[in-house]
Parts: sequence; C-alpha cells; structure tokens
Amino acid sequence: MLVPAPRSRTALTFDTMGTIVSLRLGDRDDVRAGRALVEPVFRRWDERFSLYREDSELSRIARGNIRLTEASEHVRGCYALALEWRDRTNGVFTPHRADGVIDLSGVVKALAIAEAGEALTAQGLLNWSINAGGDVLVSGEPGDRFDGWEFADGAVPTGHRVAAPAVASIRTEWVVAIVDPFDRDGVLASVPLRHPLRAVATSGSAERGEHIWTPLTGEMSPFRQVSVFAADIVTADVLATAIVAGGEATLNEVTARFAIEVLTVVRGGQMLATPGLRRNA
Amino acid sequence: MRARAVALATLASVSIVGIGWQLGSQAIDASHSLTASKSVSTTTVTAAADAAAQSGTFTGAVVQTQFGNMQVSVTIANGAITEVTPLQLTNRGGRSVAISNQAAPILRSEVLTAQTSTVQNVSGATYTTQGYLLSLQSALDTAGF
Repeated sequence: MLVPAPRSRTALTFDTMGTIVSLRLGDRDDVRAGRALVEPVFRRWDERFSLYREDSELSRIARGNIRLTEASEHVRGCYALALEWRDRTNGVFTPHRADGVIDLSGVVKALAIAEAGEALTAQGLLNWSINAGGDVLVSGEPGDRFDGWEFADGAVPTGHRVAAPAVASIRTEWVVAIVDPFDRDGVLASVPLRHPLRAVATSGSAERGEHIWTPLTGEMSPFRQVSVFAADIVTADVLATAIVAGGEATLNEVTARFAIEVLTVVRGGQMLATPGLRRNA
Repeated sequence: MRARAVALATLASVSIVGIGWQLGSQAIDASHSLTASKSVSTTTVTAAADAAAQSGTFTGAVVQTQFGNMQVSVTIANGAITEVTPLQLTNRGGRSVAISNQAAPILRSEVLTAQTSTVQNVSGATYTTQGYLLSLQSALDTAGF
C-alpha cells in the first residue's frame, strides 16, 4: 500500500497541454525557482503546437492559412524530427493524421519535457523530476528532503487508500511506479530510473466497447498499455506510441534496435517485459 | 550452490526468452535432463555416451542467433550437472544473465520492484487534466503538499 511519507513539501503541479505537470526538486528551496523555469517552456510549446488552440501556428497550418514552408523554424524542425521517427519506426509512428492534418503532439510534449529539464540544469538545478501526464524525466536524485510516498510493506502495492506510518530515510534514486491499466489505483512495477535510462513514457489504447483501438490506425492493438524506459524522453514517448500502434512486430523490432526497457500489458492482462525489468535482473 | 542457482536462473531466462530457439542439441552434445524452472520449460542437455560416469566440463558449440553468438559450458561431476556457464551471451550493461533484450512473458511476481520503497512518480497512459484528479499521481502530489 502507498502511504504518505513525512516532510514532503517539494512537489508542485500546474496545468498545461491538456494535462497536469508535476515538478519535483531535490531541494525544496528550489521549487519556486524551478517552476519559474519550467512552466514557461510548456506554455511556449503549447501555444505553438496545440491543435486545440485556434491561434496556434500548427492550427493555422492545418487550416491552410500559412504553408508549412512558411512556418517558423521551430515548427519545421519539429516536423522534421517527427519524420525522422517515422522512418526509424518504419512508418508506425507518424505525424500525419488520417485526415491529412499534421499533428505533432506525439513529440511535442516530450520535447517540452526535455527542454524544461535543460532549463533546470542550465541554472544549476541538478536534482529534479518532471512528470507530464505520465511521461517522466529525472535528473540526479530525490535527496533526503523529499520523502515521497512509500509502499508500507515494501511489496508491490494493491492500492493507496490505506495510510500507515512511514519510515523516513535518505532517497538516492528516483522511482517510478507503472500503473495497472485494469486498476488505476494499482501498481504493476516500481522501477528506479537509473543512468542511462532516465526517462519513461507510457501509452495506452483507448477502450471503445469491448474493443481496444490504436490511436494511429484505428485497428485493434494487442496491447492495453506499453511503458518504455529510455535515455531520453522523446525516444521513450515515440516508441511507446509505436509499440501500441505496431503490436508485437514493432515491440520485437524496437527492443532489438534501441537501448530501451519495455513493459507491456496485453489485452488479456498478461505482461511482457524486457530482461532489465525483471526482479534480480 | 549460488553458482548453480544463477545458472538455473540463466537457463530459465534462456527458456523464456528463447521461444523458438532450442538450447539443446545445437549447443551441447550430452545426455542430461536439466529442469530450467518449475513451470516454464525444460532444457535438455545431452552428454556423450556413458553419461552416468561422466565428469568434467563440456563446452558447447557457438550458436548464432539474431541477438548475437551464444555458447554455454556445462560442468558434470559423477553424472550430475553442477554448473552451467554462459560463455557468450549478449551482454547489456554487465548484466550477462539475459541473452537478449527481447520482451518475454513475465509474471506479476517477477516484475522489478525497487529496493527502496519510495515512489515519487507514476507513469500510466496519459491522463487529461480531469483524469489527473483520479490518478495515483494526484495522490502523490497531494501528499507532497
């Protein structure tokens, strides 16, 4: 079970890109400074790339108000990166929506997380974690000032509703819990984000009736949920999406080609994991 | 005993990961049956004739797989396998137990659980601003204040 640990005053959240960003810093004195650095980064990316904002540059491109060739260097660079990932995933990941609109949301959130992390590091803040809607990037270590929450029994928890006394100790690793897609309060695994795999992203296939559909092709995905651990958040995010869309063939291909660890939950609830996500691995 | 346990764990990994790949006759030429794990599978290791009296260390042939070359050696004392050593396995970050990085079926009880019991972040399928309120991350963040 998850229980609140004492002296936890270094997390803050803000709303952006249609989700919530949770920011943590190893030193509580830095949290406000950290927010001042991180929040504008997300706002800038959202203003430029959100298709939900009519005035965003990408929305104006979608309406044909401006041509892609006339777009800012930012947008063109981001589009080029998305095309690179399309090639690396044999077209499974793509920035082109079925209706022809260029949708860069598959890389934008990850790029915003990466830039926010760089902004913190550039100011000498070395111990932090950024979680944007379940995509997590960390640096350094949490330190002993932040105690987070604990699994009271040290085991894989089944929920977080029951509180019990927590034991404070020095924290040397950022640990991320992978949520159970069949029980939003349950956790499948708790994984330390160790160098070089400092990032994790999880993609899921939405449910419609009894069928599970991929966000890209509209076909059924064999995977209910895919978590990818990688050295950078863009790789993690793109490959998690690609595996959901491409199924087992893509899973086997990318685990052979990229330095990543993957945990997938099949529709029936079974799990597949790369060796690094096994106990005693 | 620890070495043997490691070897068995190795074979268990080999068995799980290497679906479609048989360690047996290609790799080693001998005649002992070695149970790789209780429920996963059994790997057959065969010895030269007169197996019961056989002692010594036997090195198997190099097998080429899509993940690289693999080769094992088996130590047999008085007809019993005492050790199985991977000689060539795809090696990731010093963890030589796994033969490849392929994702394989795993039980809940086998999934990694951090030694420290503290969790600061939760990763699940992307939640919306509204969905966040019901998420485990929200509970963690609330505790953070």
